[in-house]
Amino acid sequence: MTGAFDLVPAIAVLPLVSFVIALFAGKYMPKKGALAGIAATAGSLLLSLWVALTVATGDHAGYNETLYTFVEGAGTFSLELGVLIDPLSSLMLVIVSLISLLVHVFSLGYMNDEGETGLPRYYAGLGLFTFSMLAFVFASNILMAFMFFELVGLCSYLLIGFWFRDEGPPSAAKKAFLVTRFGDYFFLVGVVGIFATFGTGTFAGAESFPHLAEQALHGEHEVTTFFSLGEQAWFTVLGLLVLGGVIGKSAQFPLHTWLPDAMEGPTPVSALIHAATMVAAGVFLVARMYGFYLLSPTALGVIALVGGFTALFAATMAVVRQELKQVLAYSTISQYGYMMLALGGGGYVAAVFHLTTHAVFKALLFLGAGSVIIAMHHNENMWDMGGLKERMPVTYWTFLSGSLALAGIFPFAGFWSKDEVLYETLVHALGTGGIQGPLLLLGYAMGLLAVFFTGFYTFRMVFLTFHGEPRSDVAEDPDPVRWNVKGPLAVLGVLAATVGFINMAPVKEILDVDVAYLHQWLDKAPEAYLTSVDHYHHLLETGAFAGYHAEELSPLLPGLVSLAIALAGVGLAYRLYNVPEPVEHTDRLGRAKTILMHNYYQDEYQVWLATGVTLPIAKAADTFDQGIVDGVVNGISSVSRFSGRGLRRLQTGVVSNYAALLTVGLVLLIAAFGLLGGWF
Amino acid sequence: MIPTQWYLLLSAGVFCIGLFGILTRKNALIFLMSVELMLNAANINLVAFSQQWGNLNGQVFALFTMALAAAEVAVGLGIILVLYRNFEDIDVTSPTTMRW
Repeated sequence: MTGAFDLVPAIAVLPLVSFVIALFAGKYMPKKGALAGIAATAGSLLLSLWVALTVATGDHAGYNETLYTFVEGAGTFSLELGVLIDPLSSLMLVIVSLISLLVHVFSLGYMNDEGETGLPRYYAGLGLFTFSMLAFVFASNILMAFMFFELVGLCSYLLIGFWFRDEGPPSAAKKAFLVTRFGDYFFLVGVVGIFATFGTGTFAGAESFPHLAEQALHGEHEVTTFFSLGEQAWFTVLGLLVLGGVIGKSAQFPLHTWLPDAMEGPTPVSALIHAATMVAAGVFLVARMYGFYLLSPTALGVIALVGGFTALFAATMAVVRQELKQVLAYSTISQYGYMMLALGGGGYVAAVFHLTTHAVFKALLFLGAGSVIIAMHHNENMWDMGGLKERMPVTYWTFLSGSLALAGIFPFAGFWSKDEVLYETLVHALGTGGIQGPLLLLGYAMGLLAVFFTGFYTFRMVFLTFHGEPRSDVAEDPDPVRWNVKGPLAVLGVLAATVGFINMAPVKEILDVDVAYLHQWLDKAPEAYLTSVDHYHHLLETGAFAGYHAEELSPLLPGLVSLAIALAGVGLAYRLYNVPEPVEHTDRLGRAKTILMHNYYQDEYQVWLATGVTLPIAKAADTFDQGIVDGVVNGISSVSRFSGRGLRRLQTGVVSNYAALLTVGLVLLIAAFGLLGGWF
Repeated sequence: MIPTQWYLLLSAGVFCIGLFGILTRKNALIFLMSVELMLNAANINLVAFSQQWGNLNGQVFALFTMALAAAEVAVGLGIILVLYRNFEDIDVTSPTTMRW
């Protein structure tokens, strides 16, 4: 089974090479480094597909090897870089390299054709971004994952702030970096805690930390816990610490505020960040170490609640946005909320499914938005658009495909995955007793309500942008876009309509044919890795761990309910905005409008936290440091300086005085000896 | 035979004369002479104790001290010459720049 697996590091190294080429030789190349990036990501995609094919055709094939040990532990753990290939990571490799390739091609139209400057820096950033994400995906241990997690954050900072001469982008880049860093502090503490507790950070295998934790709960393995917590409580703490990083990166409440601002970056970058890299990294991390989270019902409950709340919360904010990309930004937050809800609700396959479909349709929507933005001379306000349907048909039809997927309309991708997310949450909510059941039910309710808003804001966006009469001169006569924009859109447009068919769980139930291919695929993980769906299912239903139980329920009714709700949202949008001269109906919301326009004052309270709480505390600490700590040190030095200044007067430079001092000193010494020695 | 105490008194007297010279005079040559007196006071001590114990070590040390004194005078005269060249004077209180 060698061959494909030996080449896995090359999947990540190819974009790294393109990063170096674009950085140093980009300005001499015809397309300023774009071709190197396209070649590299195409190579990565081919290799990823080969790896995926090997996993698919092999019988429980996988690869879990250490490549390089950078700290050799003597009598303790070592720090390593390694490769872990199982169905989950090989699927994600394909998604990331596919989206990255399409984004590179699209950038030819969005950046090169628009005559942007600094393109080598742009393509270098894209290359490094892709490299970091790919290496993060196949990381075999949590420390390596953390390193590339951070690198992903750095790259997003570089790319969001690409137009650093303007005012907005640098500040948005800093915000993205700082907010995600805030979450990453917790992640780092969690990584250290995991190493301290288990002595290993590997994800898969019998010696991996999820399995050691499982054995520890069975009493078959001794682990070190801290703060005199019980084992399960301590594992919950560790899981929640790592979750801090996830919430930051995946833009979950309350660390979601960076993501809408990140729209300041170039649109292809937004597509990459939202669909495949940065934001996906958080959810992927939870899926990667799902075996660990399944041991703690509390952590799962927190994940489900945060996810469900974020899904609803962000969807309501998307309803009143006026810029095209802002609507998409809030929908991203909302959709990642669904994935978290699925993970917290015990729907591992559903979460990975939604991650996959979302990657496709959100990349499509962002690239479609990019196409519209090119046509509109970089005006993103939807109220200046309208009527673009006839003028840009390719963009319209592909965008419509993505929108139907996002809104969850049958039979587009989003319907299948979102439905499965909700269904999994519902059955576990109904089947589980205690406090978890109602909690999950609450998450489900919020998710279900968000479906309505999703349908509404998605089609409000579509109708405002493409339907009706043009509302500005530019919209009357938009710039044409070339093949390099239409090509990626067409590929993704077809995928957005079809990718849902990889896991039609409801069809499986109704027709009794096994078409849940993704489920089968994720179950193909080698037994020894302990990352298969079967193993997770076992953990999920074990009372000592998550303790979830699935209620017997036909997926038909919940599916119909969520479809009906989505259609209701679409219908309302149709009624309000699919008219020749649409007007803002937001005034009918009354005071809610102000609150929504201000994003529930999230930014305001976070700025207040920073300037009203953190700053005074920091100032007080600074005063303590400067005044008391430094004061003691400075005081000691002042005392010696003053005494030295006084004592140096003894050095008159007159030899006679020195002689006199010597004499006096000798006499005193003799006198002292005499007195103490009892001569007198 | 004269008791050793007398020698010691003589030595102490000579030492005090030398010390007095160093503490009160300003002329560098007088300084040098006073130092010579103090060294010789020490020599007297050495010889006196040598005689008291019937041991020649003290006398040998006295000879060493004289040789040392000669060398010291050579160095001292050199210093006085330099002093004169720089200050046109051999007053030891005038060169006061070698301080803090």
